[in-house]
Amino acid sequence: MHWKTRSRLTGWILGAVTVGFLLFQWAPMLTMFLLSFSGEDGGTTFPMNGTSLHWYRKLWEADLFDDFKPPMLRSFLLALLCSATTVVLSVSAAQAMRGRFRGSGAYFYLLLLGLMAPGILVGFGFAILTRLLGIEGSWNTTAYAVHVSWALPFGFLTMLAVFNRFDPRLEEAALTLGATRLTAFRRITWPLVLPGVIGTALFGFSLSYDEYARTLFTSGSDGTLPLAVMAQLDRQLTPELYAIGTATTAMSLGVIALCSLGFWLRARALRGRPG
Amino acid sequence: MSTIRPGSPAAFWLALPAGLWMVGAVVLPVLLIAWVSLWGGQAVSPDSPLTLDNYARFLSNGSYLRVIGDTVLQTITIMAVTGVLGYCIAYFLTVKVTRPRWRLALFLAFVIPFWTSTLIRAIAFVPFLGVNGVLNAALMALGVVERPVQAFLYSRLGVSMAQVSLYTLLASGPVVYMLNGIPPALREAAMTLKAPPRTVFRRIVLPLTLPGIVIGQVLVLLNVLADFITVTTVGGNKLAFLGNLILLFYEGSQIRATAVVSVLLMLMMLAGVAVALRVVDVRRMGG
Repeated sequence: MHWKTRSRLTGWILGAVTVGFLLFQWAPMLTMFLLSFSGEDGGTTFPMNGTSLHWYRKLWEADLFDDFKPPMLRSFLLALLCSATTVVLSVSAAQAMRGRFRGSGAYFYLLLLGLMAPGILVGFGFAILTRLLGIEGSWNTTAYAVHVSWALPFGFLTMLAVFNRFDPRLEEAALTLGATRLTAFRRITWPLVLPGVIGTALFGFSLSYDEYARTLFTSGSDGTLPLAVMAQLDRQLTPELYAIGTATTAMSLGVIALCSLGFWLRARALRGRPG
Repeated sequence: MSTIRPGSPAAFWLALPAGLWMVGAVVLPVLLIAWVSLWGGQAVSPDSPLTLDNYARFLSNGSYLRVIGDTVLQTITIMAVTGVLGYCIAYFLTVKVTRPRWRLALFLAFVIPFWTSTLIRAIAFVPFLGVNGVLNAALMALGVVERPVQAFLYSRLGVSMAQVSLYTLLASGPVVYMLNGIPPALREAAMTLKAPPRTVFRRIVLPLTLPGIVIGQVLVLLNVLADFITVTTVGGNKLAFLGNLILLFYEGSQIRATAVVSVLLMLMMLAGVAVALRVVDVRRMGG
């Protein structure tokens, strides 16, 4: 048939576009990974001049001026804090949405607003707010407040999707059997939505850990890792930055892989259970 | 019956913290920007009289107007490129790849970089695009060019390449979602009725994925309009879009000018979203 061959041709063209884009998407990152292992005389481009862990060691033994460890620690703590807060706020907000309180329609759009508002505007606006109130900005107060507002919509949507998908009869059964609402939530609802909660925690962590624009305006004098990276890039691009980039990327991917593994094991364990 | 009673005070109290957080950290700051942009007078303070002078001053400067034009042009360019690329990739991954294992592998290869830092990904473009960079080396090895191309790094071309790489997933994701929602029976019915593939695509697939295209375009629009990181890392301060102008004014402590540019940026975003809402009813997408 005539159209079948044509369709196969389309497949080849689309396939070439897709593979080409994937190569284009991965090539810069792979370049950076490779160059982070270049020798002591290695520059920021090829040739690598040998392979070594020199730039990672330099990262570890850094002196006062380009010490990335304090910002890295701050970023990590901030991300943990943001993750925990996002989980609490998202779960309660999504649970509240099931209660269809008055104005829940507008409430939904209010939370979604954080998704649409760009970081540069939110960060700048919040900086004005704190200045008017006379509050000194710092990474664990003002930057924290803004980071949560960024991760919250993602967590909220995740939790809404999870609550929409589970079987309400399970809760009804528990309540019919005399469990209080709180007990039913703790014993039935919470374990069922736990995968979504982990996803929300992951969003909260990685969105905060990688955030640049919102932090730039709100973190005060002690910056986070993205700010330190950008400041170093302003001074000079060194393979040390590639080492940081590779390390952070490896960390992000490691956390995702760990969570995926957890989901997979859980799904397998649930499948294994009788009836 | 569920663990929360409809319309109960509990629901209200559970909703309150997140709502207050969003009002305090997003709504109020954005409203403050609009207010500050209207401040007149000598001293920068809340007691200032409200005027439109700041806007008039900004919009009467030719080079600032050029920045607005550049930003719009850049945004439209990236929207077009990521739109076409994203649709092709979405269509290939959901329709053309039939083996589940391959589909998963390609899909992961597409999505995973999105989970890593945008800043790091933008920086990674520097050694990729440079004169001694990988792209030039590859082009010379293939014999496409004889000498390394200077124009990749610190140029509009380089910024565009980085932005396309960063934002194509945003254009593609909603299309994948919509494509997955099309019952195969629809296409089969059309083909049984002897519609050629082009007609099936134009009359069935394209209209059904249109909401996905529009949502993807809105996401790309919002991100490119506000993007200043790619421009500073890959563009090397030789270029400026509105986002960079905001940063520049802010670092120069010109709060009112910063607010003016922010409001203009916001208006452009709202205009884009309004156009999108006219094209499709986004609320119908979930249903």
